[in-house]
Amino acid sequence: MALDITQMSARQIHAGIQDGSFSAVEVAQGAIDAIEALEPQVHAFIQTTPELALKAARAVDADRAAGRELSPLAGVPIAFKDNMNEMGTRTTCGSKMLANYESLYDATVVERMLAAGCLPLGKTNMDEFAFGSSTETSFFGPTCNPWDLDRVPGGSSGGSAASVAAGMVPLSLGSDTGGSIRQPASFCGVVGFKPTYGVVSRYGIVAFGSSLDQVGPFGRSVGDVALAMNALAGRDPRDCTSQECAIDFTANLDEGVEGMRIGVVPAMNEAEGVQPEVIAALNEALDHLRGLGAQIVEVELPHIDAAMAAYYVIGPCEAFSNLSRFDAVRYGYRDPGHADLSSMEDASRAVGFGTEARRRILVGSYLLSSGVYDEYYLPAQKVRTLITQDFREAFSKVDAIVSPTSPRTAFKLGEVSDPVSMHLSDLFTIAINVAGNGGLSLPVGLGRDTQLPVSVQILGPQFGDDRILRVASALEGCYDIARTAPLAAAAKGGE
Amino acid sequence: MASMETVEEVLKDWEAVIGLEIHCELTTLKTKMFCGCALEHGAEPNTNVCPVCLGLPGALPVPNKAAVQSIVLSGLATNCKIMKRSMFYRKNYFYPDMAKNFQTTQGPIAFCMDGWLDLEMEGDDAAERHDVEKDENGGYVYRVGIERIHLEEDAAKMIHVGGTDGRIAGADHSLIDYNRAGTPLTELVTRPDLRTPAEARRFMQKLRQIYLALGISDCSMEDGSMRCDGNISLRRRGETTLGTKTELKNLNSFKSLHDGLAYEIVRQARVLESGGTIKQETRHWDITHKRTVVMRTKETADDYRFFPEPDLAPYDLSDEFIDEVRALLPELPEAKKARYQADYGLPSHDALLLADDGELGAFFEQAVAAAGGMHAQRIANYLLNDLPAALNAAEGEATVADTKLTPEALAGLAKLQDGDVISSKQGKQVFAELLEQGGDPEQIVEARGMKQVSDTAAIEAVIDQVLAANPDKVAAYQGGKKGLQGFFMGQCMKAMKGQGNPKVISQLLAQKLDS
Repeated sequence: MALDITQMSARQIHAGIQDGSFSAVEVAQGAIDAIEALEPQVHAFIQTTPELALKAARAVDADRAAGRELSPLAGVPIAFKDNMNEMGTRTTCGSKMLANYESLYDATVVERMLAAGCLPLGKTNMDEFAFGSSTETSFFGPTCNPWDLDRVPGGSSGGSAASVAAGMVPLSLGSDTGGSIRQPASFCGVVGFKPTYGVVSRYGIVAFGSSLDQVGPFGRSVGDVALAMNALAGRDPRDCTSQECAIDFTANLDEGVEGMRIGVVPAMNEAEGVQPEVIAALNEALDHLRGLGAQIVEVELPHIDAAMAAYYVIGPCEAFSNLSRFDAVRYGYRDPGHADLSSMEDASRAVGFGTEARRRILVGSYLLSSGVYDEYYLPAQKVRTLITQDFREAFSKVDAIVSPTSPRTAFKLGEVSDPVSMHLSDLFTIAINVAGNGGLSLPVGLGRDTQLPVSVQILGPQFGDDRILRVASALEGCYDIARTAPLAAAAKGGE
Repeated sequence: MASMETVEEVLKDWEAVIGLEIHCELTTLKTKMFCGCALEHGAEPNTNVCPVCLGLPGALPVPNKAAVQSIVLSGLATNCKIMKRSMFYRKNYFYPDMAKNFQTTQGPIAFCMDGWLDLEMEGDDAAERHDVEKDENGGYVYRVGIERIHLEEDAAKMIHVGGTDGRIAGADHSLIDYNRAGTPLTELVTRPDLRTPAEARRFMQKLRQIYLALGISDCSMEDGSMRCDGNISLRRRGETTLGTKTELKNLNSFKSLHDGLAYEIVRQARVLESGGTIKQETRHWDITHKRTVVMRTKETADDYRFFPEPDLAPYDLSDEFIDEVRALLPELPEAKKARYQADYGLPSHDALLLADDGELGAFFEQAVAAAGGMHAQRIANYLLNDLPAALNAAEGEATVADTKLTPEALAGLAKLQDGDVISSKQGKQVFAELLEQGGDPEQIVEARGMKQVSDTAAIEAVIDQVLAANPDKVAAYQGGKKGLQGFFMGQCMKAMKGQGNPKVISQLLAQKLDS
């Protein structure tokens, strides 16, 4: 009988390969089977790569047979968000513009995960160019939330979150510009971690907001996420915003939180529009932390209200410039029948980009134009400095901050259509991208009202990413909750 | 209305305000500005490319530290302040020669700010300027401010096939060679301090010599590794506000720079004199038709949407780094000129010419050294007068390196001539042979039987013959027609087949005639 990997952690899979319980090829086949069974309902992937996974698996098995030491992630299935270049795959960014774009090189994070022996199962669905919070703006159609197929998985890394929540893969990578890892992690009930800006290389990730983007892992446990961080983190000479990072993210996971000062920000927790079940879940988490010996203290982030505004200036400005390269000259969607360069470029961009992408390009183009720049871009940068200072100040008083990840649980497909409401689902996640700090979304069970996954967010000081994982691990231990959506068990039962 | 036919005429009534933007590719570096691709002239198209310089999705820039060293060198050599923190910016515009559709360049603070160069204006070059005090030779020295020198990446090379003049309009298709994309490029912006086309040309020449001395570029204007744009406006003499300027493109040779600006000065003056106004626009210097034509007007000018490049952190330079670069500064043309004057007693103009041309200056110094530190003026004369004449006769941009002449041979020749062993006429013959065939000047003189006769007995015998053969002329001379001296000289030289030492002949002749 084929191996069922849908409930297995990365560590369990690795251990099983190591001790000979099963082979990496069996693991790959298990993931291929799970995707085959679940993908028609979830649509987490834009492209699956079973051959690449099997090839990598055979290499792991050969290494083991030859007695070579296996890295801790060897044989672990993984999925990459489709804005990450991976040789042998298309990198579409969920856009018509790049629907047929073949990657010509590996992103550093892809290279590192493959070097660690991960089995690449495919490229996951996403909001077009990561513009969105529901994965509904993908040119390839939406992804469904494995906990309730009528609901969105969150976004923009919705496919990565859903693939892990559904049990198709134990690990996936996403990118987070304003919450694009944490918010879908919250909606899908998995762990999602955005490290401090600079901890993980951005080389090979199709840029959205260069000063905001950061890659991070999804997993079904904090331990798996920490393991992935060990492979991901560290300076990359090809990304000069990346930093040295020689820490073992798994080292402090069992250290507990006794004596730690955990901050809560009243302005965040009392914000308008936060579902009562989200606040209830947060309070329960705070009780658990107290029970573990942590002290809960209130901290102020005086400029947090301006974070959203600053983000929606800086993000579109950078996106406008980053997306300029898609001009149909050498690759990408080209509108047929144009005799001159500028009409070919204009038409290709008008047709190749979706509504939200065009909106952000136009906004960014306007905000950077001469005369307007001084009114928006410069003040936004000042706000950014203030928010960064706010967090620095707060983290001089507390070891970590806990807040809701998202004001609400997953909404229905098509339910939120106006962009401003959509942006509000990133209310608690955006500030941390503006400041550059790390943040993790930890599932804390199902909401008492909606019976959908609900999460808390744990924030740390810059480069205090191991501390975030430590707090998350301690809190995780207080919950006995399902790690994989029931969908996988149902699919299996239906065989 | 005054005649407005020439720059000289215009500049009597009008003041030209000129600023230059000078781009220079750092061709002597091994790799590109933001990636590790090789800089290689003449490589097969699109072979030195990678995700970064092709602007592929996801690629990120990493600054080339050697390029930063080069620009700091150029800043130190042009009296600039070296900024300890500067930032890269994005200049956004759509054109396929820029793969990302933005150029990574620098923001308001560049690596080098607020420098200057002194221009030594001499001869005809000085004549265009009316409002400065000139020295006894009609020359003057004039300081020109440098606003900044910043570092950026060059664009790819585009070739438009099937149209006219290689322009995109009407072309069947276009080819792009990304080998050049990402070549480290410096841009120097002068203050609007230049007042004549000759000053602009001199600035460009001087800067080129400095860059060559620094070894940061081949500075080839022909290949486009050094390029110049000019901004120019006119105002009535005595006015202090600036007139409307035009930007001139394609001033890519010293001649184009001078002639393009001169044309534009005359064009603007005619418009203004006839009551018209100058439109702010970019104009192209059309070398074929010797005129400037409109490229684009202000209304259609791009908004480049400059903003700080988020993929690159602010670039900090340590004092240690700046000091290390300062230690690498070679002797610059200005210091070299002063040394040539002081050490070799060369006149200012000769010293300037030799110091400006690094290759020629080095040859000069080697030749003088081979001559034991002597004969510097003779050597300079050959290099500054005879050599250019010979090279101009040949095709192309030949230099002394393209001839068979060695510093040692030139030293030997100078010695022979200064030692009166050969005459100056013979010297020129030997020099010509050294250029063509090389060899040892002593042997050439020997083989050709050129040795100058300085033996007084032999010369006296010839003089006596000449005087005896021309008694009437002798009488006339002694009667006051002193001009006949030249006639006697010529007769003597002729009788000695040109090998007589003219000094000795002249001396002895005078003795005989005047006694």
